[in-house]
Amino acid sequence: MSEKIKQFIRKNRQYIPLTATALLIVIAYTVGAILYPGMRNPQVFLNIFKNNAYLLVSAVGMTLVVLTGGIDLSVSGVIALTTVATAALLRDGMNAWLVIALMLLMGIALGATMGSFIVYLKAQPWIATLAGMWFARGMCFFISDDAIAIENRLFDIISRVKILFPGITEIYTGLGRPAPYLSIPVIVSFLIFFTGMFISRYTRFGRTIYAIGGNEGRNEESATLMGLPVNRTKLLVYTVNGFCSAVAGIIFSIFVTSGHGLYADGLEMDVIASVVMGGTMLSGGVGSVFGTLFGVFILGLTQTLIQFNGSLSSWWTKIVIGLLTLLFIGVQSLVARSKGWGKKTEMMSPEAAKQYRKKLWLRRVGVVAGVAVVSLSIIFVPRITNQEGAGQATQSIRCELKEYRREKAEEFLRDGAIIVYERNGGSNCIDEIYAIYPDGLIVGDNGEEIIEKQVTEAEIELLMAGILDYGWFTDELYDTWHVPCGQCYGYYLTVVYEGQEKTVTGVDGGTDAPALFWQAISLVKGIVPKFDTAS
Amino acid sequence: MNRDKVSRVISRITQNRLFLPILALLLILLFDAIFIPGFFRIQVRDNDLYGRVIDIMRNASTVMVLAIGMTLVIATGGIDLSVGAVMAIAASVAAIMMNPTIIGVQLPPNLMKFINDPNFTYSPLWEVILVTLIVAIVCGLWNGVLVAYMDIQAMVATLILMIAGRGIAQLITNGVRIQIFYEPYAFIGQGWILLPFSLYIVAILFAITWLITRKTAIGMFIESVGINPKASHYSGINEKRIKLLVYTFSGLCAGIAGLIASSNIKTSDAYNIGKTIELDAILAVVIGGTAMTGGRFSLPASLIGALVIQAITTTMYALGVPAFALQAIKGLVVVLVILLYSEPFKAFLNKVTSEKSHQP
Repeated sequence: MSEKIKQFIRKNRQYIPLTATALLIVIAYTVGAILYPGMRNPQVFLNIFKNNAYLLVSAVGMTLVVLTGGIDLSVSGVIALTTVATAALLRDGMNAWLVIALMLLMGIALGATMGSFIVYLKAQPWIATLAGMWFARGMCFFISDDAIAIENRLFDIISRVKILFPGITEIYTGLGRPAPYLSIPVIVSFLIFFTGMFISRYTRFGRTIYAIGGNEGRNEESATLMGLPVNRTKLLVYTVNGFCSAVAGIIFSIFVTSGHGLYADGLEMDVIASVVMGGTMLSGGVGSVFGTLFGVFILGLTQTLIQFNGSLSSWWTKIVIGLLTLLFIGVQSLVARSKGWGKKTEMMSPEAAKQYRKKLWLRRVGVVAGVAVVSLSIIFVPRITNQEGAGQATQSIRCELKEYRREKAEEFLRDGAIIVYERNGGSNCIDEIYAIYPDGLIVGDNGEEIIEKQVTEAEIELLMAGILDYGWFTDELYDTWHVPCGQCYGYYLTVVYEGQEKTVTGVDGGTDAPALFWQAISLVKGIVPKFDTAS
Repeated sequence: MNRDKVSRVISRITQNRLFLPILALLLILLFDAIFIPGFFRIQVRDNDLYGRVIDIMRNASTVMVLAIGMTLVIATGGIDLSVGAVMAIAASVAAIMMNPTIIGVQLPPNLMKFINDPNFTYSPLWEVILVTLIVAIVCGLWNGVLVAYMDIQAMVATLILMIAGRGIAQLITNGVRIQIFYEPYAFIGQGWILLPFSLYIVAILFAITWLITRKTAIGMFIESVGINPKASHYSGINEKRIKLLVYTFSGLCAGIAGLIASSNIKTSDAYNIGKTIELDAILAVVIGGTAMTGGRFSLPASLIGALVIQAITTTMYALGVPAFALQAIKGLVVVLVILLYSEPFKAFLNKVTSEKSHQP
């Protein structure tokens, strides 16, 4: 019996990483559903696909690229460019279908260009697509510096249509609860997913992809000698990925109903991570489009779990994804190693074989222990920090971020203040507003007391010059806002200079505000007086 | 006869590894000299030198430091994507050591009021630097162990730290940007002794690395591992240890770069410090002519590569090109680099030089 199981496992060895992934998904979701009753709602499950439709589309294209042993870093740039171009063309009144067709053409053209660099100029995929990413992202800002809102009937319809499940819907309406639904982008993403699966498994093109990437990406020459169209296939793979990026970009713009050059920043790493977690080896030749679905799902599930937990900060997503990637690579390398074990001992003397087995056994235990430690830490580390953070979490609930005290600020400005700065929130629930006057007077008001400080006019001039130096009145500095944020502060800074007035808002602890904003804030922070009661 | 000699000299120069990077740098500087008046003007203020050219070198210093470590990693046929994240970790560790109140360490009340004082630090400077660099070295060791002893591809192994590292950096500071008030620390990135202090750090690091790789056998070992790890193994080189060494060293370089970057902006900005800088560092190495597949490397060429990138950036700013357009131009520059190093172009270059030498 156990012999049979062993044989079964040996036969289906390549599915072990994927099975591990699937198991992990089931366990993680079950644990989540037990801890957070909200997760039992089927809509939460469907939302993972809904919110990550663009990721799935992009990951399918990336899987094909990675299978040839290449990589495509340009996806996030192409996605951002697609959103901006779509929004700009729609704003100018172009037909929505035409816009979509144009975007797909643009993605194909960009992908083909990068592909031909890689194929004909023998450029490293890494470098060529990096150039593509920078180029595409730069181009976004030639079209528009600001985010452009999308107001279009077709896009509106696509984003609002709910696809219900016949049969299930009736049960839910009978219970008087909203029925679970999917959206059109999810259907599109699954269409592309199934097409990708079909292409990679059952077409000549797909099998050539595996042939090129085989033997850890060193198989290109063998594939050429076998008479396979290596160049054409590689070119086509990057073109297909360009197409997928464009589709992902359109889905993304439907998702956020706007276009901006800063969207999808760093998305390529999420895409690559989900491909790796789906069991595809970055060296090429091993893996499947099918597995990528699991990778994308795990990424979405991690985000969902962290959202439901509530007290965990957003950066835990990154740490967990990193650890999960490590876990899957651990399993992969275990599988890859166990492949060679039997063969090697055949040629050895019994004595040496015994020693070799012993060594391997130790190694195997080592790898398993490593994997176990990592998975345990995934489960326990968040829990430990959770307990530590419990006290703080209750405290921070009382400390919601407040709106800008605009009337107060206007009052200061009418008095002739040139800089008004407010920060509120934090673990101590402060709310401080400062006004800085050109003659060097600084007034601070925290709602309970008013403090004053006098500095020289030169210092104020220096401060103003510094803020202007950061490009205060340019588009480099823009408003951002994010909640929840834990124990963070909200910052507001209004600057008046030569008749111009501009206010920029930001919340710390997040990832969205421009770096220059924080530098401007730190300049102001350095000069204003401190309240004794606060911090 | 004489002409033959000349053409031989020419082909020798064009064959030199430093030829293309230096040519690129000279072309950019020539462009600046013609189109941007006062580009090379250098001012003396308080016995220190200021000017655009100095700015280029100063701003390139973080990428130069990273490029030194990255060159060795790429020479072994690997890649280190995690340098940016390690920089962020280093900056967070340094900031938290100087001002630990952010993570809830209670200072005695008599110290508390000095927390924003430019002369106050919780831990002495040498301790801050030492611990930061040790943390960075541990990050490098982690990469090295994964690549050398767990046989994970370099790109994946360092991708893990690249993704998780930035989260860890934010975890260390609890997601808060910590402002650094301590003036002596700011000297690392902002100080000048005739030239910007960070340039001396680059120079010392470069000198030490150059001596170690070129005056001992280590450089040769690194190249041989990059060309053929198996053959190196059979010829008695401990290729695993060499790999461990270069990743650890790259971690150290990232730590130093993190110190420079955070002291330069006087904040530990876990999200923004070193963001996408790994791409710049790798690009610098590629412009320097070190092949991504490993093998022969040149440290000075990588440094020039870093300067080329920064020179382009500074030139564009001086011309008034908006910051956003810069990325598109950077992309085009990479395309140019690809063209210059591509086989067809090399064949063309060879043809030109050999035609000259065959003329009667």
